[in-house]
Amino acid sequence: MEALTLTGEVREINRALRALPDGAAATVADPRGRHNLAVGLDAEVKVTIDGPAGYYIGGLGKKADITVNGPVGWGVGENLMSGRVHVKGDASQSAAATARGGLVVVDGNASLRAAISLKGATLAVGGSVGAYCGFMAQAGTILVGGDAGDGLGDSLYEAVVYVAGRIASLGTDARIEELTETDVKTVRDLVKTCGFDHIDPENVTKVASARTLYHFDTQNHDAY
Amino acid sequence: MNHTFPPSVIAEIQERASLGRYAIRGLGARRAVPSFDDLLLLTASASRYPLEGYRERCETRTVLGARNASEPVVLDIPITIAGMSFGALSAAAKDALGRAASEVGTSTTTGDGGMTPEERASSKTLVYQCLPSRYGFDPDDLRQADAVEVVLGQGAKPGGGGMLLGQKVGPRVARMRTLPEGIDQRSASRHPDWTGPDDLAIKILELREATDWRIPVYVKVGATRTEHDVKLAIAAGADVVVVDGMQGGTAATQDAFIEHTGIPTLAAVRLAADAIAEVGADVQLIVSGGIRSGADVAKALALGADAVSIGVGALIALGCNDSGHPDETGAKVDVTADYRRLGVAPGDCSACHTGACPVGIATQDDLLSRRLDPGLGATRVANYLRSLAMETTMLARACGKSDVHRLEPEDLVALTVEAAAMARVPLAGTSWIPGQPV
Amino acid sequence: MCGIVGLHLKDDGLGGRLGELLAGMLAQVRERGPDSAGVGVYGPVRTIGAERGSAGPTPGGLGVAPQTDATGLTVLKGVGDPVALAEEFGLAGMSGHQAVGHTRMATESAVTTEGSHPFSPRPGLCLVHNGSFANHATVRRALEAEGVVFETDNDSEVAARFVGHRLDLGDDLEKALRLVCDVFDGFYTLLVTTDSEFAVVRDAVACKPAIIAETDRWVAMVSEYRALVGLPGFENARVFEPGPEEVHLWKR
Repeated sequence: MEALTLTGEVREINRALRALPDGAAATVADPRGRHNLAVGLDAEVKVTIDGPAGYYIGGLGKKADITVNGPVGWGVGENLMSGRVHVKGDASQSAAATARGGLVVVDGNASLRAAISLKGATLAVGGSVGAYCGFMAQAGTILVGGDAGDGLGDSLYEAVVYVAGRIASLGTDARIEELTETDVKTVRDLVKTCGFDHIDPENVTKVASARTLYHFDTQNHDAY
Repeated sequence: MNHTFPPSVIAEIQERASLGRYAIRGLGARRAVPSFDDLLLLTASASRYPLEGYRERCETRTVLGARNASEPVVLDIPITIAGMSFGALSAAAKDALGRAASEVGTSTTTGDGGMTPEERASSKTLVYQCLPSRYGFDPDDLRQADAVEVVLGQGAKPGGGGMLLGQKVGPRVARMRTLPEGIDQRSASRHPDWTGPDDLAIKILELREATDWRIPVYVKVGATRTEHDVKLAIAAGADVVVVDGMQGGTAATQDAFIEHTGIPTLAAVRLAADAIAEVGADVQLIVSGGIRSGADVAKALALGADAVSIGVGALIALGCNDSGHPDETGAKVDVTADYRRLGVAPGDCSACHTGACPVGIATQDDLLSRRLDPGLGATRVANYLRSLAMETTMLARACGKSDVHRLEPEDLVALTVEAAAMARVPLAGTSWIPGQPV
Repeated sequence: MCGIVGLHLKDDGLGGRLGELLAGMLAQVRERGPDSAGVGVYGPVRTIGAERGSAGPTPGGLGVAPQTDATGLTVLKGVGDPVALAEEFGLAGMSGHQAVGHTRMATESAVTTEGSHPFSPRPGLCLVHNGSFANHATVRRALEAEGVVFETDNDSEVAARFVGHRLDLGDDLEKALRLVCDVFDGFYTLLVTTDSEFAVVRDAVACKPAIIAETDRWVAMVSEYRALVGLPGFENARVFEPGPEEVHLWKR
């Protein structure tokens, strides 16, 4: 099927994207950093956003395969349920925020609070992440090909972070754990899917929750 | 009487000494604050004539969010049911509330845990909350909702995140919220992907795009800097603003938060209504926090609200704080002993946080949940809502109004100087409004 | 809550386009602050009273006459739609080596011209702010006790006068901004400029946006990425986001 090229107002573009049937493809030409493109999709469609995009790109999405040829703003793939969002550039704050399923791939760097409140999705960042990566992440997987900023995995629940580079500091209740065979396999598969050949699956640092804040206790008042 | 260390304060200190953490409980602020009880309606007189009940119409239909939505929310009465989570409440309770609301033609609201299929099925008009935690937030549920409510805070704890103690994080709740079973849930107090009204404006657009601009967007705040908050919510794009005063309830919050944060609903209503009027936008106002009777509803509307929202009151109608619950035959089974086991008594219980609700409302325990029959419960709540609506129209008619939304501040006077100042209506018997230029 | 844009030229050859470029950037952050707007343009030093100096007529829509100080900084601000205001200011025709702009959605103080940003409490010093401080009332009182006089009840003015006061006491701009991080609670992205410096700093939590882009011809700072795309040579810019409590400063 020939790909549709879409221009115009964000609302019209999104309407056209939502009308696409399974298997269709479309390109959003000239996005110019605008917000909310390809939000709330719910079909097996392939969408290319051909340039820099703004906030919440691909947010609240299901099943779609979205590629951005440029950087994105806050909350790329926020609350993603399934499908994929691939950023061929950098992502700003809160990448994959609260995402519940599917895969968000950022080839470049992600800034603050990447994968905040993650709920089961996977975020893979080829470059580095800023501070507070994985803040309150409840479930899912985070892979960082470069370095991680301060406060990594603060208040982590059951999500797991793998970092190939240096970690500036760990957040509250986060700790480094030994890699298991399952971890290595998970990372290897993810590296393959994303094409992140610069990551050696056996040489990443695993960060997980120490689970000491799961119950309210006065002994932890400093941690809060 | 020792006002500084009365028995209740002594008990609170002892509780902290024993627990080693803050005291947590349910319901709203207990202490006396200026409220609608301090206002009186000036009904008919020689200069103002009443409408007859029944034949002479007093309209209660309420339309919310027509500004942007292609499908605004249309209610038969200006009284809705506030957001309370499945998790805080049992599934049976949410079901009963939904049925009651549908029966009387109003809406219910999801809570900090997401939308259950039971509530969507039983509630004809369902408002879907988008909270800082985003527990269970699902675009499919968003698309099925009749409105979306972006929650910045609630009256019981403006600035505090949601809380659910481990004993209520059972298998189903844990699954919905993507949490390990049995942990003490500590929610975020800020949203993960926006902070501030400038970025909220972009988030609201996202929610509109995801719903094709069909449904209204509400923004809910706990009442603190209400004038600024309401103006900012409007600037960010809210179609409806929901303001929850300090008396607003909760299922689990630190007592220090409940009693010592936010402003009384009485003060908040007037601030919010005046802010909307000043901006001049086509935005509606819903107020909540201690609404109990049709008198409260009428006074809130007179001060400028378009509707009220009820939380605790609806639960009490459902059976909260009742000494017993009906069995299959309808006979009342007394459960006072269960209250006593929690260290409380029927009529004075706020132990929602324990999950051991003796009447099956604020619990996740299967056995306790069975004590609440959704059908019987729905009837009671529907009765309560209908009687509230009747009281409201009775009072509006007595003020000569053919529509409850035509109640105005001039229909009110205050009993105390504080209430007069907060509501900006005269002290009864005088023309004095404290703080206003003479 | 607001939108910030700023442009610091390294290549004086772009000086004639400064106003035009900033106007384009400002239009992209208009939705973030529809209530009012202001710009600070660092142009050639002029004698007071010439052209649109303080002796000139007040263009319609502006609450105060444009002020150009001894360093060549002209501050123009007003109430209303930012794009319309920029046209009234004649921004597109202005030239210089550096400019900042701000669009405002008022938080806790009134929408007035005086309350708009930028604040310039000292010749050549300009501050624009996105976010809200939590303890500015206390900082204001402390500054008043040291003799600082305020013009508005605006929280951003407190930050501006704090920085100005520190500069008066001999601190350099970088030190003053580090002190801001120590002293002020709240969420804030600040763009602070003097006649020769362009600096950006964010609070420890950094929840308000900030993006910096740099080429060998200019440095720009914006609240939203889309405000950068029109800048010449942007395709080759290094784009990054400053981290919490980092002072990023460029000096001519």
